[in-house]
Amino acid sequence: MLAHYTPSRVSESPQAAVPGPIRSLFDGYQCHPTAWDELFAAPGRPHPHCESLVSRQGELTISEFQHLRGNADLVFINQGITFSVYADRRGVEKIFPFDLIPRPVAAAEWKTIESGLHQRIQALNLFLFDIYNDQRILKEGIVPADLALQSKAYRPEMVGFEPPGRQYLHVVGSDLVRDATGKFLVLEDNGRTPSGVSYVLENRVVMKKLFPKLFQRFRVRRVEDYPQRLREALGAVAPPASGDSPCVVLLSPGPYNSAYFEHSFLARHMGVELVLGPDLFVHEDRVFLKTTRGPKRVDVIYRRLDDDFLDPEVFRSDSLLGVPGLMRAYRAGNVTLANAVGTGVADDKAIYPFVEEMIRFYLAEEPILGNVPTYICARPTELAYVLEHLEELVVKPVAESGGYGLLMGPSSTVAQRSEFAAKIRENPRNYIAQPVVTLSTCPTWTDEGLAPRHVDLRPYVVSGTSSWVLPGGLTRTALVKGSLVVNSSQGGGSKDTWVMEDGR
Amino acid sequence: MISRVAEHCLWLSRYLERAENTARILEVNETLLLDFDVPVEQQWRPLLIISGIHDVPGEIDGEAVQNYLTWEPANPSSIVSSIVAARENARIIREVISADMWERINYYHLWIKSDEARLLYSRSRTEFYCQIKRMNQLIHGITEGTMSHGEAWDFYLLGKYLERGCQTARILDVKYHILLPRPELIGTPIDIAHWMAILTSCSGYEPFHKKRLSGDLGISVADFLILDPLFPRSVRYCVSRAQRALHAISGQPISDPGNAVEHAIDTLVHWLNQVNIDELVKSGLHEELTQVVNQIHKIGELVHLTYFDVQVGGLAETSESGLPSTSMSEEDDPASVAKARVSGSSSQSQSQAAQEFQSVS
Repeated sequence: MLAHYTPSRVSESPQAAVPGPIRSLFDGYQCHPTAWDELFAAPGRPHPHCESLVSRQGELTISEFQHLRGNADLVFINQGITFSVYADRRGVEKIFPFDLIPRPVAAAEWKTIESGLHQRIQALNLFLFDIYNDQRILKEGIVPADLALQSKAYRPEMVGFEPPGRQYLHVVGSDLVRDATGKFLVLEDNGRTPSGVSYVLENRVVMKKLFPKLFQRFRVRRVEDYPQRLREALGAVAPPASGDSPCVVLLSPGPYNSAYFEHSFLARHMGVELVLGPDLFVHEDRVFLKTTRGPKRVDVIYRRLDDDFLDPEVFRSDSLLGVPGLMRAYRAGNVTLANAVGTGVADDKAIYPFVEEMIRFYLAEEPILGNVPTYICARPTELAYVLEHLEELVVKPVAESGGYGLLMGPSSTVAQRSEFAAKIRENPRNYIAQPVVTLSTCPTWTDEGLAPRHVDLRPYVVSGTSSWVLPGGLTRTALVKGSLVVNSSQGGGSKDTWVMEDGR
Repeated sequence: MISRVAEHCLWLSRYLERAENTARILEVNETLLLDFDVPVEQQWRPLLIISGIHDVPGEIDGEAVQNYLTWEPANPSSIVSSIVAARENARIIREVISADMWERINYYHLWIKSDEARLLYSRSRTEFYCQIKRMNQLIHGITEGTMSHGEAWDFYLLGKYLERGCQTARILDVKYHILLPRPELIGTPIDIAHWMAILTSCSGYEPFHKKRLSGDLGISVADFLILDPLFPRSVRYCVSRAQRALHAISGQPISDPGNAVEHAIDTLVHWLNQVNIDELVKSGLHEELTQVVNQIHKIGELVHLTYFDVQVGGLAETSESGLPSTSMSEEDDPASVAKARVSGSSSQSQSQAAQEFQSVS
């Protein structure tokens, strides 16, 4: 959700300023006036870790580049790497637009991201164990108890329950953005069922097909290990009684889910069965798979189904996608669910402002990766600041989602601001405020040639008994000029993310 | 393997086989009667009948029939519907089939939906149907060469041979429907041309002529297409291959049928092994072929009950012995009904299944 970021003014079409025909790719590319550019430190001058990339890809003419783009689209179409469009009853499938200019991340920068994510996820995991058990952080007033316990994602069914290895967050995909000074910040944490990793892997396959020489010259870190790492992590958290080769399955909502391709992709690459709810049943608190040779015990379920749909006995009773009795089997310790139930409270918007405090509380460390600065109106000094600076801030009610009821300071009227100020004063606990961040940009192919488009970055962290950060991630890019919305459902595209090896 | 996945494997190959057989029939019929002055009605109505469509009112027009059997999305047996359903089954079990298979099936689907396919259809009907045949043969070859020959493959073969056996029986039955109004045509050049066309639609023209050249032509062709032990599209061959696949799935020796479906197919194989063509003709070819088609349907239903409809009860009943078996309940699993499954030949069950398929798409 990037709706609260206002676009800055973007320069005119890059070609408008350049007379005559443009022959090679980066000729005439003009950086965004204020945003950080992922490739160029200044117009025509790439960052050190991007120099060779710019010079090699820059040798391509526009028509060669266009030709490669066509090839890339064909690979996606022929392999059926598509997502379904729900609105169409005939099941029209579209490809996720893929941009051929990679988004590089320097080795040193990646180290910071990597250690920052390790730290953050460790703290979030400790937070989850704490709020479902001793609730120390609530008792000590670090996180307001009502915010945590009244979160819609808080699951009383998890109270007093200890998942194997105290691991709740087996897969996390946090969304990072880079501000105008070049600093990475965490925009949100996705600790439920984050998606998109299959595109990371498929994008890399396509890039290797199209630019084999680039990969020979640059040491780009491999992303291909992801499925194996995930498989190992899932095996490591199997119930102790399940023996040496636990049965791991991936539970999907089904072929009509827009992420079905990814579910199928991961099952295939991990070598585990993809199952739907009706393929499973619970008998005497144990989970079984319906096979042609009769029922088979299941030990670990990597579920890509939200809590609400998991078990009609406990959650939504109208769910046909889940497995009746699954929570009983889970609480009896006979099956591991990944991610654990009730993790949504850790990525709740109301909890987000406290993650830095959590890190200090549980780990006694300073946060390596910061949040987007957030003012909590419940705190008197911050409330005073917010009320004085409404014009510069985005103010959000914590209880709402989907961008409802917020104030976009820079584009608001005096009347709107005074009306909002009254609301905040009335119930300060319900509001947080953030400054407007201009997302970094990356050269991206558009109808007018290469132009800066805003990007974010979703790295993936896999945790079993230990954690591993995939060296790469999904770079999502807005395709519309000035837009800060990168979601695929909003017409965003993606890029291959290149994490460089040391010394590059 | 997961019951639902096994079911998709079976239906993937059934739909592919169905698309190919429809193309074969249309291709032959298109060129069949060029030399003869046969009323359009008589040439095309039988094609609708063997597709299970008995009640088309009014005049039948050749173009309309071809269009209906090739392109009509509302007709669940049309070539395009079969390819869409095959591709959907493949997509659902993408993690089970090979990457090469998926890519080709996906391409097949993209092609049939393309302008290119429409253009070929309008330029050369024969070339269009040949292309369908070739694509199917290519997919089958790729499958044979890239998919592990384990349980999924056995279900794939089972679906393929059950469908093909049924289709061959139906193609032969066309003859019955064409001749029905005009018994005086038997033995005439047009009758001979019909028989040759039927052989050709099953790729049986050459193998047939290598085998028998004497006696009544019609009876010889029927004998060949029903009872030949080696020709890969004969009913007997298909049923015995389906039997082989069933026993590969269960691990039970063929000589010792274990479950209900193995008993049912054993009975059919035995009958096909010992019956001769004169007996079939005597008791009525149409009646006997209808019987065969019904038997194959029954086998399909038993496969469903034996392998796809695993019931929770199966565990409780056998948990003491430690050898849980699958349930033989008569009830149809409502979850599997909702899937892309078209059973049998009756137009009613086809359109019902088609509606169910569309409602979940």
